[in-house]
Amino acid sequence: PGSSDDIEDVSLFDADDEVSRRSKKSKIRHPVASFFHLFFRVSAIVVYLLCELLTSSFIACMVTIILLLSCDFWAVKNVTGRLMVGLRWWNQVDDDGRSHWKFESRKVSAQGHKTSSESESRIFWLGLITCPIIWVIFAFSALFSFKVKWLAVVMMGVVLQGANLYGYIRCKVGSRKNLTSMATSYLGKQFLRQTVAKEDQTTS
Amino acid sequence: MYPKKSSTLLRDWDLWGPLVLCVSLALMLQGGSADSKEDGGPQFAEVFVIIWFGAVVITLNSKLLGGTISFFQSLCVLGYCVLPLTVAMLVCRLVLLAGSGTVSFIIRLIVVIAMFAWSTLASTAFLADSQPPHRKALVVYPIFLFYFVISWMILTFTPQ
Repeated sequence: PGSSDDIEDVSLFDADDEVSRRSKKSKIRHPVASFFHLFFRVSAIVVYLLCELLTSSFIACMVTIILLLSCDFWAVKNVTGRLMVGLRWWNQVDDDGRSHWKFESRKVSAQGHKTSSESESRIFWLGLITCPIIWVIFAFSALFSFKVKWLAVVMMGVVLQGANLYGYIRCKVGSRKNLTSMATSYLGKQFLRQTVAKEDQTTS
Repeated sequence: MYPKKSSTLLRDWDLWGPLVLCVSLALMLQGGSADSKEDGGPQFAEVFVIIWFGAVVITLNSKLLGGTISFFQSLCVLGYCVLPLTVAMLVCRLVLLAGSGTVSFIIRLIVVIAMFAWSTLASTAFLADSQPPHRKALVVYPIFLFYFVISWMILTFTPQ
């Protein structure tokens, strides 16, 4: 009958849409942002580990690491988070002088055109989580091996990268309500479609 | 340059200026140790830590005394007010290139005292505004001490 043909057409259309959506999700849409997201963090860690070999001057290493950490903080907070996963956080000062921290996440549109790709999201969160952990490990190793002169740099690394981690986790947690409501509505639609298709098969 | 209306200026705080000033001041204070074996490394870290730790302690102090200024705004002000002392450091280094006698010491003393007064007055103008009147002295004293320590480091700097 005609109604079942319509429903079959709709589900085929959906399958095509899903395949194209899946291929879109695995592509990296912002290669430059992804590169810089990891570049500053990893090079700060590499310089810290190889400073003895690279140059005999402690100051050059320290200044380089400080500059890399600052650039990384700025890039991750202002650019890569917004581009790669659609999250952002900032500080706003009211007219009466009180400061508020705002955490935002980009709303996903119904067609799913603006969903972030999975690989970008994976790169982002991987870089965001592992680097502060590595700096905390460096902090403990500097403390226990009494290399106190490195402690300032390591603390700065922990604070800056930890701040970004905390900010983005709060953005993510804050948007969980949206995510769950989206997920339930999507699952509800799928469930409805399957039950209607099954009913049609049994009747026809 | 002497700040009059403080609250609106402070709204857009950023910590880039203080970072650059701190790093340049710490770099310029290099090579002043009597121990020539070390490459001046710990002193860079010392100056860096003194400036940032001192700024954090002053901010916490003013917040605990009931100040209305936010944490990062206060850090921003204290960091930017290190600029006159950085200029003083530059002048001192140039004067020391010319010679290190009594005359140069007097010149350096005058310059450092003038810049120290400017730094302290400027940051006090911002930070004391946010305090109730009977507590202003409690906020000003740590700022005075902070810039005094930095000025002392600048004045007692002797190149190798």
